[in-house]
Amino acid sequence: MTLAAGIGYVLLALGTSLALFVTIISTKPFLILTLLSSTLVWLISLIVLSGVWRVFLPFKTTAWWPYSILILTSIAFQEGLRLVLWRGYKKLEGILDAFADRVAKPRLYLTDKMQIALAGGLGHGVAHAVFFCLSLLSPSFGPATFYVDKCSYAPFFLISVISLAFVTIHTFSMVIAFNGYAKGNKSDQLIVPVIHLIAGTLSLVNLASGGCVVGIPLLYVVALLTLAYCGKMVWRTLTEAQIRLAYQDQ
Amino acid sequence: MDQNPRPTGILHSLGEEIIRIITPVSICMFLVVILVSILDTNSSNFSSFNTIATIAYDESTSDSEWDKFKGALLNSLVFVAVVTVVTFLLVLLFYFRCTKFLKYYMGFSSFLVLGFMGGEIGLFLIQVFKIAIDSFTYVLLLFNFTIVGVLAVFMSKIPILVTQSYMVIIGVLTAYWFTMLPEWTTWVLLVAMALYDLAAVLLPGGPLRLLVELAISRDEDIPALVYEARPIVDPRRNSIVQRRIWRNVDLESTESSQNQRIIANAEEGQRIITNAEEGQRIIANAEEGHELTAPLIERIRDHGLVGENLGLEGIGLGSSGAIKLGLGDFIFYSVLVGRAAMYDYMTVYACYLAIIAGLGITLMLLALYQKALPALPVSVLLGVLFYVLTRVFLEEFIVQCSSNLLMF
Repeated sequence: MTLAAGIGYVLLALGTSLALFVTIISTKPFLILTLLSSTLVWLISLIVLSGVWRVFLPFKTTAWWPYSILILTSIAFQEGLRLVLWRGYKKLEGILDAFADRVAKPRLYLTDKMQIALAGGLGHGVAHAVFFCLSLLSPSFGPATFYVDKCSYAPFFLISVISLAFVTIHTFSMVIAFNGYAKGNKSDQLIVPVIHLIAGTLSLVNLASGGCVVGIPLLYVVALLTLAYCGKMVWRTLTEAQIRLAYQDQ
Repeated sequence: MDQNPRPTGILHSLGEEIIRIITPVSICMFLVVILVSILDTNSSNFSSFNTIATIAYDESTSDSEWDKFKGALLNSLVFVAVVTVVTFLLVLLFYFRCTKFLKYYMGFSSFLVLGFMGGEIGLFLIQVFKIAIDSFTYVLLLFNFTIVGVLAVFMSKIPILVTQSYMVIIGVLTAYWFTMLPEWTTWVLLVAMALYDLAAVLLPGGPLRLLVELAISRDEDIPALVYEARPIVDPRRNSIVQRRIWRNVDLESTESSQNQRIIANAEEGQRIITNAEEGQRIIANAEEGHELTAPLIERIRDHGLVGENLGLEGIGLGSSGAIKLGLGDFIFYSVLVGRAAMYDYMTVYACYLAIIAGLGITLMLLALYQKALPALPVSVLLGVLFYVLTRVFLEEFIVQCSSNLLMF
């Protein structure tokens, strides 16, 4: 559907990420590196998953249970990978703090740590958008459009709408997760895999004919919930830190 | 609310040089992908595309896979042999101090690349977009563009942004011509060049190692087309230092307030032999000697404190260093990504991430070993691996999931 439509779909999926990138991440080179590495890690996880599942695809049945197993295993694997990322991040934090001590600069601020988590999450989100959405948008730059049977209400390219929700979920759940691991807050730590699972299973609803009318709005509810939870958590953390600082100054 | 502005943390400037190198590499790859997508040529248009890289075997779509592979192998062997011979020639010329000749040759090659290759690609673009322009205007514009490019390569008084842009443009043009090679030849050639690079830099008799050692012992420049991230300003004289790659290694000196350590890793540039013959569609690839593309990754650090030994600075994350990357790296990375673009965009993203990861790994190894290291092998081998994995595994998986609107 021509160049304008193609660019429109791309920006639909990646517009907010681009805004976040330009305002927050591009100012600090280290965050760009974090973003690139977390994108790479997500890609590797996808390749591993596809390597494992390749023999079973394409599914011959239209029943929903093979897809649900696929989603469950994938989400479990990726959440496990998040723990690995957290370990790596702790080590990196140690190195950076040691470096800061040697150059006589302040150690990592709380906002710095949250920005690194944000960059990591954005990397995951961008990887999701690029591989699940952008790579399939190439036909949209051409003269025609494409519909799938199960969701004939909108062109297929509205996967960019789904991708936008997932980008939000990935980005902010990383912030929640890292904050939760740092504080040892169980509810924060648990809510992230739960959100991921709910989002994944909601996309299963799309398998039913006409299911996308229900599935996509619900997905957006989940994304907004993630956003609100993350905002509340960050606000709470920052005010706590400020109160602590003010208390120390007295 | 914030009474005392707190001091800037380390996150502000950490990793700056790496980004300064990754950005032009990404821009080069992006432009090549765009060119490949716009000028969608298939093999039938260029059936008579003869270069040194297809002398041994001309691939045609009707051959079997095994034949194609054998042919590609032969092609790559011929190419690598030619590259080796010319590299040794370069070492010889450098040994006999013919640096002026090499510099002029460098300028001449960039003239050919910008003028002829750039001109042809410009013509393709004019055809595709149906731009109304007459030949005289076009020649005039092209000539001006080329001359400014040659000057940017030669002189160091040109603003650094212009020089950097021309380097990227030369990389894009050469890489695009390489993507016109047949498919199997391209992939086998990439792997062959990566292996050759490894051998040439690390083996004791390798030509590039000899070159680097000669240059160090003489404390001279290697005349080469190298992308440098920023100019080096000598604080003593407050002038732009001439583009010198080698400098006196003066580690522990307390006399000089300037403590400079150079970490370099030299690597190969590719060469393409020019056969300017008109009237035939034998498309010439400009010969860029080593001069054009002796990709050197090097860091010139300049800190006022003597004897400071910051571990992280060694990873290239120091705040005042500058990394140089040879043009051959740009070109081969972009060829890989351009070839991936000819299949599908998913492979492009995967290969891009693989190449950037390889570049990062190479920079870290550079900081660790502190000697000449080739920049091609890790990135190219990772890129080829990810291309194969994506094409075989990932694509089916993603298409299956997405066409059912299933995502995680």
